[in-house]
Amino acid sequence: MSLVLKNLYHTYQPNTPNESHALKNINLTINDGDFIGIIGHTGSGKSTLIQHLNGLLKPSKGQVLVDGVDINQTKGVHLKEIRLRVGIVFQYPEHQLFEETVAKDIAFGPKNLGLNEKEIVKRVKEAMQIVQLDYNTLKNISPFELSGGQKRRVAIAGVLAMKPKYLILDEPTAGLDPKGREEILTQIQMLQKELKLTVVLVSHSMDDVARFADHMVVMKKGEIVLSGKPKEVFGHYEELEQLGVGVPTVTKLMRQLRMRGLDVLTDIITIEEAKNEILRVWQTGGQKNA
Amino acid sequence: MLKDITIGQYINGDSFIHKMDPRSKILVIMLYMIALFIVNNVVGYLSVVIVSIVIVLVSQVPLKFFLKGLKPMVFIVILTVVLQMIMTPGEIVYWQWGFLKITQEGLIQAVFLGTRLILLVSITSVLTLTTTPISLTDGIEYLLKPFKKIGVPAHELAMMMTIALRFIPTLIEETDKIMKAQSARGADFESGNLIERAKALIPLLVPLFLSAFKRADELAMAMEARCYHGGENRTRMKVLRYTYRDGLALIAAVLLLIWAFVSKLF
Repeated sequence: MSLVLKNLYHTYQPNTPNESHALKNINLTINDGDFIGIIGHTGSGKSTLIQHLNGLLKPSKGQVLVDGVDINQTKGVHLKEIRLRVGIVFQYPEHQLFEETVAKDIAFGPKNLGLNEKEIVKRVKEAMQIVQLDYNTLKNISPFELSGGQKRRVAIAGVLAMKPKYLILDEPTAGLDPKGREEILTQIQMLQKELKLTVVLVSHSMDDVARFADHMVVMKKGEIVLSGKPKEVFGHYEELEQLGVGVPTVTKLMRQLRMRGLDVLTDIITIEEAKNEILRVWQTGGQKNA
Repeated sequence: MLKDITIGQYINGDSFIHKMDPRSKILVIMLYMIALFIVNNVVGYLSVVIVSIVIVLVSQVPLKFFLKGLKPMVFIVILTVVLQMIMTPGEIVYWQWGFLKITQEGLIQAVFLGTRLILLVSITSVLTLTTTPISLTDGIEYLLKPFKKIGVPAHELAMMMTIALRFIPTLIEETDKIMKAQSARGADFESGNLIERAKALIPLLVPLFLSAFKRADELAMAMEARCYHGGENRTRMKVLRYTYRDGLALIAAVLLLIWAFVSKLF
């Protein structure tokens, strides 16, 4: 089963002077268990794209298939049911918190699904555990008393409590400190690895995408311009620089080293790989000197 | 979609009226309204109608925008016209049913009143269609200046209006975002009875108010950090200037007003 976008077009304010084509002929297949990174400059259509995945926006043309079902058919499709399967965590999700207590806020989604009290409490506990918030100490605290990073985790737990099969995150680490970023990203990776969730991560950070995604998509002005494994995509160095998205910091470093005459490979995207490559070159170089 | 809402009705243009100073536009409209309420016979109404048509034509705004502005008024216009028609006592009776009767006086009054309402809405539309909300508030600030002496906070009022206008699109965008976020969590804003729908708004309103207060606070802080302290000695980026157009329009408005008085003699 999978999420499939077929020849998708989206136009904002059609037939007015402000008409803008936010998406043009998007074809994308997201398979179960994938971790997909979507990158692109501001205004490239990333957010518009993900809002199609659970029916918040309707395509001007084309199809969105969730597990083989066209979600914009008029008959027999309940968007609520789709939204149960496809969970979206928006940018700055802490802005959506509204309840008196953390537990109540996380329970909002499950409640809307019509679950019973016992199941709701169970899911709230589970979701809080996943994002590493302590249920007993935090459940009765107002979400507005928490720190920024904790608020964000409460908001993410609110989506996780609905137990989506596909989890879509729009810049989940924007505005967080390095420690908060790291924690949230590793938790997301854990979700994909252990709970077998399919994850779509929209990000500005090439380092994050390089580290976590199995597959990535680069967007420009509403079109997919590059797609493939991170290693392949980051090979298009000049193109990415031109698009204003760049490449991971270590890839830049390796290119610099090579330009200075060190014989390293440049298709390196994570710190671990870079370390090994530098050590390899160092050791072989050392042998020469000996 | 919420995003499609337009604030103000300004239609970009380059006509005589677009180029006028907002202050003189407001003044001219006030004079016009006085004239409209003074006239009381066929000659008077006819001249005001002709002047109004000329104004609408000069503004070069497509007619459909005026019709759009009139749409919400249709009910009120019909109601007043019908009430005038059947409730006015008079000599010549065309039709009678109980205490309801249609008289010649009633018919004439009804036509006059209907015309007055339609003209009123159309001409104020000319103001809002040809003036950006911001220059409108600038104009209002200038015109309220003399009232400062009796304690009207002209600058503060105008500043409040400008800020409010500035933040309407931001708030709409914010509403749209929160609505989507809550929909993604299964919230339903569209079905259910009145009470259920009102309840469904809580997850929307709480975050919206929170962010609005936060924004207001941040804006106040930013303004203070840049030493904002009210209207005294402030210069403006867009200085309002009267031109020959404003002179011509004001003279025309005064003439119209005089003619309105004269027409009562016919």
